[in-house]
Amino acid sequence: MSSVTAPTQAPAANPLREGLEQERVPDASSLVIFGASGDLTGRKLLPALYSLAHDGLLPAGQTIIGFARPDFTDDAFRMAMREACDKYARTRPVDNAIWENFAKGLFYVQGDFSEPSGYYRLNQKLQECDRTRGTGGRRIYYLAVPPQFFPVISELLGAEKMVTDPERGGPFTRVIIEKPFGHDLQSAKELNRVAVSTFRERQVFRIDHYLGKETVQNLLVLRFANGIFEPFWNRQYIDHVQITVAESIGVEKRGNYFDSAGITRDIIQNHMMQLLSLIAMEPPVAFEADPVRDEKVKVVRALREFPRGSEEENAVRGQYADGSVLGEKAVAYRKESNVSPESKTETFAAMKVFVDNWRWADVPFYLRAGKRLPKRVTDISIHFRPAPYPMWRKLRGVSTQPNVLAIRIQPDEGISLKFDSKVPGPSVRTAPVTMEFRYATSFGAEPPEAYERLLLETMLGDSTLFARRDEVETAWAWLDPLLNAWAADTRPPDFYPAGTWGPESADKLIERDGRKWRRP
Amino acid sequence: MTASPLHADVRVDVTAIEKHLAELWRSSKEVADDALTRAALWNVVAHTSTSETHAKASETLGKASGAVPQRTIIVRADPSAPPEIASWISANCHLVGGGKQVCSEEIAIVAGGDRVQRVPPLVNALLIPDMPVAVWWLGDLPNENEDYVLTLLEPADRLIVDSVHFDSPADLLLINRVGEKTTTMPADLNWVRLEEWRQATASIFDPPHMRARLEAIRSIRVAAGTSGSDYFGEIVESLLYAAWISAQVGHQVDALGKVEGPLGSIDYRIERRKQESDIGGISLAEITFDDGSCASITRDRERGILVTNVDGNLSFPESVTRAVVCDIDKLIVRQLKRAQSDRILLKVLPVASRLAKRVASS
Repeated sequence: MSSVTAPTQAPAANPLREGLEQERVPDASSLVIFGASGDLTGRKLLPALYSLAHDGLLPAGQTIIGFARPDFTDDAFRMAMREACDKYARTRPVDNAIWENFAKGLFYVQGDFSEPSGYYRLNQKLQECDRTRGTGGRRIYYLAVPPQFFPVISELLGAEKMVTDPERGGPFTRVIIEKPFGHDLQSAKELNRVAVSTFRERQVFRIDHYLGKETVQNLLVLRFANGIFEPFWNRQYIDHVQITVAESIGVEKRGNYFDSAGITRDIIQNHMMQLLSLIAMEPPVAFEADPVRDEKVKVVRALREFPRGSEEENAVRGQYADGSVLGEKAVAYRKESNVSPESKTETFAAMKVFVDNWRWADVPFYLRAGKRLPKRVTDISIHFRPAPYPMWRKLRGVSTQPNVLAIRIQPDEGISLKFDSKVPGPSVRTAPVTMEFRYATSFGAEPPEAYERLLLETMLGDSTLFARRDEVETAWAWLDPLLNAWAADTRPPDFYPAGTWGPESADKLIERDGRKWRRP
Repeated sequence: MTASPLHADVRVDVTAIEKHLAELWRSSKEVADDALTRAALWNVVAHTSTSETHAKASETLGKASGAVPQRTIIVRADPSAPPEIASWISANCHLVGGGKQVCSEEIAIVAGGDRVQRVPPLVNALLIPDMPVAVWWLGDLPNENEDYVLTLLEPADRLIVDSVHFDSPADLLLINRVGEKTTTMPADLNWVRLEEWRQATASIFDPPHMRARLEAIRSIRVAAGTSGSDYFGEIVESLLYAAWISAQVGHQVDALGKVEGPLGSIDYRIERRKQESDIGGISLAEITFDDGSCASITRDRERGILVTNVDGNLSFPESVTRAVVCDIDKLIVRQLKRAQSDRILLKVLPVASRLAKRVASS
């Protein structure tokens, strides 16, 4: 263990931080990235950490240690990460002076995830950093590795006594896990069992990068910081809700993984559940980790089960066929590399779900997610009930439409409200108009990347924006029967040409109810 | 900024400015349709007294409106000029991507002689409702005409000044009075310039073991870059810095500027250091502790950073903070992006004015 003994009681806050733009700066720690030679480290993690340093949000002694199998020197690792930051950091061009100082805290330890000797070397390096960089025994382990490595890494960290906890008198250790959090309920439970055998639940940070997006966080502000919405946010005024997560890309290099997962596991079980929870949750008693997550998990618990044996009534799946997206030819899913030519994996799913509670009884939430759709967009729309009495119905030129509050999560983030307005002139004619708020217009600057926010929150020890064990398991428990039914179904998914909004069955799913998908 | 038919200044009747603005937007929509968005998050009123400062305000706020869309009202009030009042309108448009432009309105009001008195009510009528109001006062505040200042500030949520132009400690007290006696909160561009110095200094005390050392401060030395003159404004940034440490750490500063900490009196030294550029900026800050060890912050101009160092018995990694010299428009943008007023500045202003007395007497 570290030779540095950290105080068990947090020292008083630094009074000089009060009122600064960077009011919250964490204590210096060592962040170990397992799988540091992988794509995620270069594309997301290091650029995010550099941008945090650039913005003055990292403490002076913050240390980052890459751990992976390939043999790198510290300098070679630094050079590779500099190239990655040059390409992907939000704050580009990279500032040499900031980089030089940042790179002084960047190290690499070669090791195999299943070999104790690597952990021994890692521990030596961590202790050295405690002495030279003031990291005080504080550790964050980022598991940027496939889930099958999680048990062995977790076990060896425990065996090498590299995990401490302030409640047991030591400095903090936290572990960040990337999705997928399991493949189904059973594997999720197993993953969580392994996690809590080494770490306590509050030391585990399950990262869902959607929660790091400004616009997703803004859902809570929109709902609970504005007095006008909450009175209407219920079954009395809302007709239905639509959530669309569309990607224009196919599976790219992820054919292997995706073919065993499908869009439901890849997007709906995690990102979409988060969006649904934030839209449907009750106001938490405080904006703190447990009160927020308590309310979110209640939403997932309230999700109505799919009707056994007739799941297709409320859920459809599709798979893209040949087509074109954004003017480019796109090949069918089954022709993608590392995908079985007979694959039945769904690249599109649409479902009608109900949150069975007092607020949302019988209000349908229509969810759809897919690959190779016309464009990349994530959009939530709240469709209000029509005006109660059609007093204009006898007049020609008047056809009122329900109000829609649309929340654009990405890209071109913003919120719009559609309402009817009188067309100027001597007669009464109406037309829908929209009132728009766009982040780029109002706030100009590029918002921080999701990973920046989430890494910083982990360093600060705030798990509000991370998924909790029960959230993950409850979502799997709800989805498992549907996934099992699909797996048992010998029919292929409904095909749709790449570049369209999914199969016809998805349109029928909503049109049966006299509604239609909003074009996002 | 991109070329736009809205750019040209159009002289309009003072009594019908809003009507002319509406016409301007209607005609521009016919040309550009959806590619053009009219937006405003703030009303920003710039108060100038000469054509040079008027031009400077227009250019600066034109740039700033790209980051913070605003209705800009630039007032040029000169009581010694002939008695007339005139107005112009134009727009500042900025590309925001996807071929879209966001445009902000700019209204110029030029008043001379006794017509100057008509400016505050006219400005009041031109403010966009429900949007906050910032008044940017260019140059030194008129100590002798406080009523005029207060009338113009009546609807303002924020008063933006640049204390580098202050000619006496009384100006610090005046903006402090504005903050204490009105609902207008003062905001100082010099204070914004100090943000990186404050951040670098705070970073020294971030490690848990350093926090207790705040109580062990025995002396603070700040070097202010000056032009060689003894103009008061050139040391205000340094004064604010020193006052900030005292205010936040809880030192007692008496009316004569004598500072007492938990371990006794604290030696404050503000040194004038002649330099060619960055006049008024801090070039060095040094904090000495009771054990003789010292923390220092220096500006590395070439690399655009502040470097902090702590010596003595402590092992401490060097820390760097980005400190690029900012243009006025960027300082204003940073100021307007703060949704809340800066309560720390209000704490610091009276302390700074007391410390100023000590500097004057040393």
